[in-house]
Amino acid sequence: MKEGDSITEVVKEITSEQVLLYAKASGDFNPIHVDAKFAEGSQFGRNIAHGMMVAASISESMSLTFGASWHASGKVKIRFRSPAYPGDTVTASGQIKKILPLDEGTEIRCSVSVTNQAGEAIISGTSSVIITG
Amino acid sequence: MDSKKHDEKIRYADLEIGTIVSKQSYLLDRESVQKYILAVEDSTNSTVAESSNIAPPMSIAALSLRGVVNDLNIPGGTLHIGQELSFLKTVPVGMYLECEAVLSSNSVRGDFRFMVVDLSVEDDVKEHVMKGKSTIMLPVDISD
Repeated sequence: MKEGDSITEVVKEITSEQVLLYAKASGDFNPIHVDAKFAEGSQFGRNIAHGMMVAASISESMSLTFGASWHASGKVKIRFRSPAYPGDTVTASGQIKKILPLDEGTEIRCSVSVTNQAGEAIISGTSSVIITG
Repeated sequence: MDSKKHDEKIRYADLEIGTIVSKQSYLLDRESVQKYILAVEDSTNSTVAESSNIAPPMSIAALSLRGVVNDLNIPGGTLHIGQELSFLKTVPVGMYLECEAVLSSNSVRGDFRFMVVDLSVEDDVKEHVMKGKSTIMLPVDISD
């Protein structure tokens, strides 16, 4: 693993069914996500996916790349730049920017993002993980 | 995962920095974790969660935000615009977790109120398993 390497890409299709499942799993029933009539009158004109549901693909990408270290030492800082809509295909990806030796292991810092099928950034930010042993 | 719901209207302008906006205890049971994994189609499920009984870290984050959404009675039209998370410890399914959310910023810019909430989650031995910071944006006309 070296600076410049990509982390494991994760591709998801966003569906209305999944948005509803996420609302039930998270307890977030904000009508912007689950009420079509409310969403029609919003600035988006239709339902949008929960940001944290889309952000889960970044965590999945980090977990697939760095395994259990992500669960015990992962950090992420993200900005939700624009919404994902049901019907969108989103891709979480990232790149290793810095590898830093620490007393307790190695810290790996990455840039991360989620883009839609048009290549527009939906989420962008940074993440890091400490690998020990 | 169960949380008390509030119907009372909250005047967000009156919320002071340092206010504990939510404090909830949850059992991270297998059914709730499975629901979460199904919703996000987490492919690490088979490699991590099932074999080692470890919950996906973002399911802990979702749990901590659940209390904020319910207890702050977040109005429709609120947008989640930023999130920071630090995962500090693996969390096995079946763990009782205590989630606390404290208001750390509350300001108005233009037509929107921006609120920052600091999140912390402790396990049943009072060790932090996650810390975070959520930034949300509410239209002033529905939040004040």
